[in-house]
Amino acid sequence: MFKRTTDIMFSELPQLKDSGSALLAKAKGDRFIWGIVILLSLISILVVYSATGSLAYKKYHGNTEFFLFKQVAFSCVGLLVIYFLHQVNYSFFSRLATYFIIAAVPLLIYTWLFGAKINDGSRWLKIPIINLTIQTSDFARLALFMYLAKVLSKKQEVIKDFKQGFLPIITPVILICGFIFPANLSNAMLTGATALLIMYIGRVSIKHILLTIGVAMIPIALIVAVAIVTYNGNQAETDKPAVAEKIKSFGRFGTWVKRVQDFRYATDSAAPYQRQQANIAIANGSILFGVGPGNSTASNYLPQAYNDFIFAIIIEEYGLLGGAFILFIYVLFLYRCIRIYKKFPYAFGAFLALGLSFTLVIQALANMAVSVGWVPVTGVTLPLVSMGGSSYLFTCASIGIILSVGRNVEKLEGATTPVVPKVEPVVQPV
Amino acid sequence: MDIKDDILSRAYISLFVIIGICLFIIGKAAFIQQSQGKYWRNLNETLHQKTDTIIAERGTIFSEDGKMLSTSIPEFDIYIDFAAEGLRAEKGKKFYKNIDSLSIELNDLFGDYTAMEYRKILVGEYKKKTRYFQFKKHINYTEFKALNTFHLVKLGRNTSGFIVEVKNRRLNPYGNLAFRTIGLARDSFKVGLELSYDSLLKGISGTRTVRYIAGGVAVPVEDAIETETQNGKDIVTTIDVLTQEITENALHEMLFKNQAQYGCAVVMETKTGKIKAIANLGLDSAALLKSFNEKSEYREIKNYALYATEPGSTFKLATMITLLDDGKIKTTTPVDLQGGLWQFAPNATVTDAEAHGRGLVSAEEAFELSSNVGMAKMIWNNYANNPSAYINKLHSLRMDTVSGIDLVGERKPIFHKPGTRGWERTTLPWMAHGYNVSVTPLQTLTLYNAVANNGKMMKPYLVSSVRNEGVTVKEFQPTVLNEKICNDSALAAVRKCMIGVCHSSFGTAKKLFLNNPYLVAGKTGTSFVVDNKIRYSDKIYQSSFAGFFPADNPQYTCIVIVVNKASSPMHFGAEVAGPVFKEIADRLYTTYVKNSRSNQDIKYKNDAEAVSYNGYKEDAKYVLNKVNVKYQDNAGLASDWVATNINSKALQFNTLNTQKQSMPQLKGMNLKDAVFLCEEMGLKVVAKGKGKVKDQSIIEGAKISFGQVINIGLN
Repeated sequence: MFKRTTDIMFSELPQLKDSGSALLAKAKGDRFIWGIVILLSLISILVVYSATGSLAYKKYHGNTEFFLFKQVAFSCVGLLVIYFLHQVNYSFFSRLATYFIIAAVPLLIYTWLFGAKINDGSRWLKIPIINLTIQTSDFARLALFMYLAKVLSKKQEVIKDFKQGFLPIITPVILICGFIFPANLSNAMLTGATALLIMYIGRVSIKHILLTIGVAMIPIALIVAVAIVTYNGNQAETDKPAVAEKIKSFGRFGTWVKRVQDFRYATDSAAPYQRQQANIAIANGSILFGVGPGNSTASNYLPQAYNDFIFAIIIEEYGLLGGAFILFIYVLFLYRCIRIYKKFPYAFGAFLALGLSFTLVIQALANMAVSVGWVPVTGVTLPLVSMGGSSYLFTCASIGIILSVGRNVEKLEGATTPVVPKVEPVVQPV
Repeated sequence: MDIKDDILSRAYISLFVIIGICLFIIGKAAFIQQSQGKYWRNLNETLHQKTDTIIAERGTIFSEDGKMLSTSIPEFDIYIDFAAEGLRAEKGKKFYKNIDSLSIELNDLFGDYTAMEYRKILVGEYKKKTRYFQFKKHINYTEFKALNTFHLVKLGRNTSGFIVEVKNRRLNPYGNLAFRTIGLARDSFKVGLELSYDSLLKGISGTRTVRYIAGGVAVPVEDAIETETQNGKDIVTTIDVLTQEITENALHEMLFKNQAQYGCAVVMETKTGKIKAIANLGLDSAALLKSFNEKSEYREIKNYALYATEPGSTFKLATMITLLDDGKIKTTTPVDLQGGLWQFAPNATVTDAEAHGRGLVSAEEAFELSSNVGMAKMIWNNYANNPSAYINKLHSLRMDTVSGIDLVGERKPIFHKPGTRGWERTTLPWMAHGYNVSVTPLQTLTLYNAVANNGKMMKPYLVSSVRNEGVTVKEFQPTVLNEKICNDSALAAVRKCMIGVCHSSFGTAKKLFLNNPYLVAGKTGTSFVVDNKIRYSDKIYQSSFAGFFPADNPQYTCIVIVVNKASSPMHFGAEVAGPVFKEIADRLYTTYVKNSRSNQDIKYKNDAEAVSYNGYKEDAKYVLNKVNVKYQDNAGLASDWVATNINSKALQFNTLNTQKQSMPQLKGMNLKDAVFLCEEMGLKVVAKGKGKVKDQSIIEGAKISFGQVINIGLN
């Protein structure tokens, strides 16, 4: 036997206080997701700094650091948003979802009628005091997917029933998409498609989903038809045919037609300018390496290089490998969110994590598909990477909500007694 | 399977679909990059890269004394593209916001339109969407810089639509001075030295590849193939601005006084063949029609010195040299002038210009009288059987070929040879007195210069060196065309004849050079002008005078040609061209010849005992007061400049003559005072040595002209 006094066992030593900062110690939820958020923020700062060179030159007389500081500031605010939201008990979002969805519809209508026009579309609402323009559709989407998580979790028992299951789910979707539609067709389509995917995952009848797609295709088919009929060979670029001119009087119809035409009829040499420049950016990179951070030249010419086409700049500067890495990060993010779902026993929380993560990743895919020319120019941002704005903050809000659910998973894994959410009923197995 | 697992499997299926889409995206990107990559990268270059030509700066033409005769300055042409994207953005918000301020600023700068007019013009063109509106041409650098700070313009090319084109404009700081000889350097039309030395002056334009970035700023692309721009070389001419001014003024005065059509005067440095001045003044066709011409209407239109005309009597020198060199005559050989009329053939009579009524005279007198009959007879008597001998001699005097001056556009002389179609029976006697032959004034000058230069014929030239960035890269040396044009006795004889023209009792120019302080050797000429428009009957006379001075030690050779108006009462060589020659000779003699002579005579003795101060009076007073030396001010208040004298025991100030126009005595002054005095009078000072002024190249009391160079030596 040793004498107790001769030595001290480690276990007897007092526990060290957490060496990291208090804030970091409190950051709960999936560590992978935290890591992804920070990694994407850093990439964002790098790429946005590089891609805004020309914009800064024009607007701030060569003060290129302006956007660097702006993006750093946005990243910090974004992280704070995530941090505070992930501290909120997720069940609170259940109530919030209902309020949000009720608020979203009048906001969309207001924006449609009185909103600020940026790039010809009235998608923006100016918040008076903080002087930030927000895209109401971003808010509406967040509200919609929170609400979908709520209804889907509640209606699982009657999910295959048209009246009791399908209608309550599809109504908010149609409402929100219908009101986003006049201002921003592509966003409406993207929101609708994402909603349908979430509905599929949430076990809504495939038959009902196909029916919805069928109905939704009617206006889209109309636009494509008009685009093809009114397309007038060489003159399309300069002179708008009289018919198209007339049709243009219906809100943004003309723009949609033009975009479809641009996409469908673009030959390599006559591709729209943005498309050309994006292709040049991609072509400037190589498989393994790009031209290197900050060396992008295409960003001088590529409109919205820091936003819609940021993926093209990433490929230019970091090569195809860099692009693939970004894709991998989003897939990893999605995988980690599915893992949260898997581990989380309560339906609303699980659906929340699933729904919001799919939304973000689909948005990311849409953005990158635009960058490489798979789909027409739509104007969606690359979540967490594109230059900061209201959509950046909404993305952070989504991630904060996901992490809030993730935090509960950790609690469940750590605690012997599960923390039972107050409001949420447990989903009964069928 | 429970609901959760069902949902999970659906989520996994979606995940795989998403991974699939990711692969598609990467695949598409790889396709763009790898299989279309080349196309896009090329497009990138063609869209954003441009090969810019950097036009080489044209070299400057300097006078011998380093003054710029012709130089290039940048000039800007401004165009506006009213369809510029940034200008039309948001329904022209920026345009309409700035247009008022811009109009006011434009009015302030240019003042050619009021602000309201500017606004009206710009708004009008804006509405028309003019793509390339010519807004302002030929604005200078200062204006261009100011323009760049204006509203709208400062927003850059893409927003404002303002396009700048830089051009180099050729500027002649001395205006009309030797204008035709210096020449023109327009893109499509060049004459004079600008043309002759164009390959040196223009330089080599370079290219560089630039990439346009935001704001229309061009950034050179690294590693791109570039060719260096080589700016044009500068050329230093032999022209001396002061001599040129003297020559031009003298000619101008006479042309205006005699209402002449045109004239030219060329001054050559005897020893080298350097053209020190070349003046060509004439009226253009519109001014010719008017009865009274303004002085300012005489301009440098044509380089008459390069055009061959019938020379008239100045050609008699060639005839005289031939006769003397071939030993056919002596100066004393008699010739019968027959009162100035010689019926050579039924329709051909040789007539002397002036009715002198003389009969038998010596050859020398015939020359001095400028007798056509005398010359024609002597040549006919000696060469009628062998005209080729005369022609060959003229050939050795280079009368049948261009002078070879380094100026493009020298016309060939018209020179007939025996046996050719142009050769007639009358050709030989008529050639003898300067008809049936055409030579350029420059050829005549070259011949006269050879006589002045002891028979050594020098090639006239205008460019003495080529410089690159201030460093001389090539120097042109005087070229000898003919080492000896005739034997020494013939040379001496012909010089004597030429001096006789100016100073003997028979000489045609004797009145002109009466009591001249230096000897002049020359020949007058009066001839009818004939060309395809003018006939003998129009009585248009060409008056000429060619000669050199001082005849005992020739420094300069000069020719003056004046073509008078029809039936001008004053038309004799000695009346019209002679005074121009004399004016030039007088000025050059006092400025260059006399002083260099007198300087050689001045001997200085070192003065160790008496310290003399010549300079500014107040300075002297100040110093003397400080050291308590008494002085006596004889100069009074009249003069600020004094010379000191030690008279018995008192120090005296005496007035120093510092009147303008005449050279003060600089001796004894310090450099500061000397330079101040000289520059105040418009002299250019070249100083050598240290201490006080020892000698000065322009002697005290001499008449000085603005811009003259004075050399002062210090000891």
